[in-house]
Amino acid sequence: MTGLEQRLVALGSALDVPETPNLAPAVLARIGARPARRTRGVVLAFAVVVVASLLAALAIPDARSALARFLHIGGARIELVDRLPAVPTTPPELELTLGQRVTLDEARAQSSFPLLELDERPDAVYVGERGTIWFLYGTRDAVRLLVAQTPRVAIDEPFVLKKLVQAGTTVEPATVRGKPAYFLIGEPHVVLLLDENGLTYEESARLAQDVLVWEEDGRTVRLEGDLTRAEALDIARSLR
Amino acid sequence: MEDRPPTDAALAERARQGDERAFEELVRMHSGIAFRTAYLLTGSAADAEDAAQAGFVKAWGALGRFRKGAEFRPWLLRIVANEAHNRRRSAQRRDSLALRAAVADVSGDAVPSPEAAALDQDSRRMLLGAVNRLDERDRDVLACRYFLDLSERETAEVLGVRHGTVKSRTARALERLRAEVEE
Repeated sequence: MTGLEQRLVALGSALDVPETPNLAPAVLARIGARPARRTRGVVLAFAVVVVASLLAALAIPDARSALARFLHIGGARIELVDRLPAVPTTPPELELTLGQRVTLDEARAQSSFPLLELDERPDAVYVGERGTIWFLYGTRDAVRLLVAQTPRVAIDEPFVLKKLVQAGTTVEPATVRGKPAYFLIGEPHVVLLLDENGLTYEESARLAQDVLVWEEDGRTVRLEGDLTRAEALDIARSLR
Repeated sequence: MEDRPPTDAALAERARQGDERAFEELVRMHSGIAFRTAYLLTGSAADAEDAAQAGFVKAWGALGRFRKGAEFRPWLLRIVANEAHNRRRSAQRRDSLALRAAVADVSGDAVPSPEAAALDQDSRRMLLGAVNRLDERDRDVLACRYFLDLSERETAEVLGVRHGTVKSRTARALERLRAEVEE
């Protein structure tokens, strides 16, 4: 351990952390039910849920300029109109939440799976948490489309539907290349993922727009943009 | 033969079968580290208590998915950290989070711990300021590694990132700190 690391350990011991409250009574009072049981063993699961409180910090500000933009992807002409709410955030926020900027070739090389790509090259590519590859179309300040591909997670349909119904989101089932897909309508969005241990962790729906998600060949794919269901499906089916 | 206290694994397995008393024991055993983790990630005692409490409740609900033989502590802390991150984002405190160092332990009559004695107050203040100015992800990694004494593997699990990411973020954060406090 270096001197600096030793100083950090010493600093940790001197931090002003309040005394731990007695958590047990409140916890026990709240766990009225028995724990859920599953018999499927290790479950790789993916879920999406809407939570109203999170989005302000995660939307994109400059895209508020209400201009129609046009994107031609896979033969589909997609009109994207920004209707993002006025939220206090800064443009670099998006990049921080996407990950490390890389080239498309670097993403292809780093990815543990063959990337699904559109004919049109993305304007920016990022490698984020859990090996998620992000394709950004447009600019950081005016995003038209985000495509996220995350390996080693799968859609757990009962979980998705239960959570989304609880949250009041509309879920429209669809298919992409024969795979079950879900078009999630309602904003703001937050994505909850379940890892191999069955633990949830949060991911924001970066654009606070409707989301199309599906599972394909060992990854989940997520499309975000100001897209109708038909537009999102057109783009999804153009990925290859 | 002396009775040994049940291990995390044994308690977790009993809790998984619905034994609330076993889970209560786990709550009591891990309340301290859960609250400290949440506090270091939120900077708020109220949010930390809320996050730790919610973390335990969610852990109870997720026990059916807890892998037999897995380590309970990092699994629990992962849930707590998620709850803490949610509250930090909700409060939009992302950029204003600031940890504070106690000031009493090196100035009174009490003998400071060897660790605390290693830092005088000025250098501690300077180091803490530099830590607080780090990007939140770098700060979280340092908090797990050095303030919570978690291993790299545990840190990766708690923060939901890859092991390599912990290594690279730690190295980057240390480099930034070094530039600030050792120049």
